[in-house]
Amino acid sequence: MSYRLRNILSSLAKYVALAVILVIVLFPIYWMVVTGFKNRLELTGTQPTWFPQIFTLDNYFKAFGGRAFPQYMVNSIIVVSTSTVLSLIAGSLAAYALARFPMSRGFRNNMSFWILSTRMVPPIVTIIPIYLLFVNLHWLNSYRALIIVYTGFALPFTTWMMRAFIQEVPVDLEEAALVDGDNRLTAFFRIVLPLTAPGMAATAVFSIVVLWNEFIFALILASTSKAITLPVGVSGLVSQYELLWGEMGAAGTVVILPILIFSLSVQRYLVRGLTVGAIK
Amino acid sequence: MDITYEHVTKQFGDVAALSDFSLHVADGEFMVMLGPSGCGKTTALRCLAGLERPSIGLIKIGQRVVNNLEPRDRDVSLVFQSYALYPHMSVRDNIMYPLRIRGMAKAERERQAQEVADRLEIGNLMDRRPRQLSGGQRQRVALARAIVRDPACFLMDEPLSNLDAKLRVHMRAELKHLQKSLGTTTLYVTHDQAEAMTMADRVAVLSNGVLLQVGTIDDIYRHPINVFVATFVGSPSMNLLPVSFEPASCQLVQAGLFAMDAAPLLPRFQIGAAPGDQYVLGVRPEDFAVSLESRPNSIPAEIYAIEPMGNEALVAVDAGDARLIARAAPTFQAPIGTHCWLTFEPSTVHLFESASQKRVEEK
Repeated sequence: MSYRLRNILSSLAKYVALAVILVIVLFPIYWMVVTGFKNRLELTGTQPTWFPQIFTLDNYFKAFGGRAFPQYMVNSIIVVSTSTVLSLIAGSLAAYALARFPMSRGFRNNMSFWILSTRMVPPIVTIIPIYLLFVNLHWLNSYRALIIVYTGFALPFTTWMMRAFIQEVPVDLEEAALVDGDNRLTAFFRIVLPLTAPGMAATAVFSIVVLWNEFIFALILASTSKAITLPVGVSGLVSQYELLWGEMGAAGTVVILPILIFSLSVQRYLVRGLTVGAIK
Repeated sequence: MDITYEHVTKQFGDVAALSDFSLHVADGEFMVMLGPSGCGKTTALRCLAGLERPSIGLIKIGQRVVNNLEPRDRDVSLVFQSYALYPHMSVRDNIMYPLRIRGMAKAERERQAQEVADRLEIGNLMDRRPRQLSGGQRQRVALARAIVRDPACFLMDEPLSNLDAKLRVHMRAELKHLQKSLGTTTLYVTHDQAEAMTMADRVAVLSNGVLLQVGTIDDIYRHPINVFVATFVGSPSMNLLPVSFEPASCQLVQAGLFAMDAAPLLPRFQIGAAPGDQYVLGVRPEDFAVSLESRPNSIPAEIYAIEPMGNEALVAVDAGDARLIARAAPTFQAPIGTHCWLTFEPSTVHLFESASQKRVEEK
């Protein structure tokens, strides 16, 4: 077999494999999107259809007109953005301490591991004590409960990511700033922060994606449209009496849309966030 | 302003990076701290800059004890080996940074930055970013940032070691000229003895956290205090030959190799006090003369290799177990393996006690 032919075949194999994976990953999303545009008859018919036979926006009108979805979306945006900002602030400062402050190697490693280990417990394990806590505080069904929990939920993650980014900033730069007249805090804001800005953006994206999709805490801690977030809102369409496939498809499409646009627009930083520390 | 270290010790855990280090740098002096990597010279510099705190001892800049001052309050500027230029700022902003932090008005700091940049011939690069500059240009920006503040003293941590060889030699002269024209006290750290020799007013040689010797380069070159200093300063290194003193015949002997009359050395050195009469004889390469005929009081050897250097030739020879280097005329030629004899003037040799490695006291 000639070298050229082998080359073509091997890249062909790669593209076929990629195509298969893409179909597996994207098909459910495709199905959700088309479901949102089908009418009830078509959805419950015995013959599944690839495309909506009669294109309809009814599901969208029902979900966003008759139900509280706009409110759910506002809730989601407020809770997720506030939690992300808080966890970024606390996470960067913690990461800075872990990356820079003098401490024994054992303490540094144990501390970092302890922070990460809080994510090893399945959220469902901690939900009951957290629930009781907020019952006693009378904070159930409020933004602040979700914001506190989400901040804590994202924090291990933001700390670890920011630590990697801060470690990439040469210590010399900070020391130069200290000698030039900065103190630690001003050196952090003038030197470290600008240099880790892309890393911060990547960390923010991860945090937003994770929190936007969070379901279990929101399900337990929020009960009315005052605090219910989008994922819980969508799940509410599965009720005891009916399965509103069409509305679910419509709502699901709207739920993933902002995050999709957002992720695509900061894709450059995302890739960078995934490979941080990989190459020097 | 002058700099004083008084019995400074710096511990990192159980390791003493610097022990009982005392040094005085006079106002306006160019002092070079010389030593191999890990000898504590950078630690000494960082203690002075305030990036490390000494465990014990005092550090003074002028009359002021600075031990407990933050780096920003010490009025020193530091040039890093990596240059540590702020990558997100232009050259102009880099140079102005110390002035900006100190709250100088914009017009004034721009004027001063431009002045310093022009002086260092980087005035046309002000709008570039550090990554768009060559190594030599970055070096100049780092220097400009250090100079622009007109500090009490300059601290430099191997600033030339990232430059290529040719540029390094060029910058040595330029740095020395700059330091003299500014008249600012400078403490310069390097492991390169050539830098120390060419630039320093005085050199401080360190090893394993201990200050071994301070003096002019001439002093250190001619009177090294021990074997370490003798071999570290000078290139190629001083040749060392273990010998024993035989009082009966008054000779320095290396069994099976050579014996030399010690009488000419007796007026210079206190010979005879070393344990077991064991000594190390040190001869600088330029003090050896290579002869292809047998001579009295000489070391028999075999030519191993000849390295022509243009203005001279370095002749490596095997003498017993030792490989010795001699400087010879550039025209010197002989086939490998030729028998030869190394001669030297007794007045040029150095003598060290074998056990303590210290220089034998001179009369």
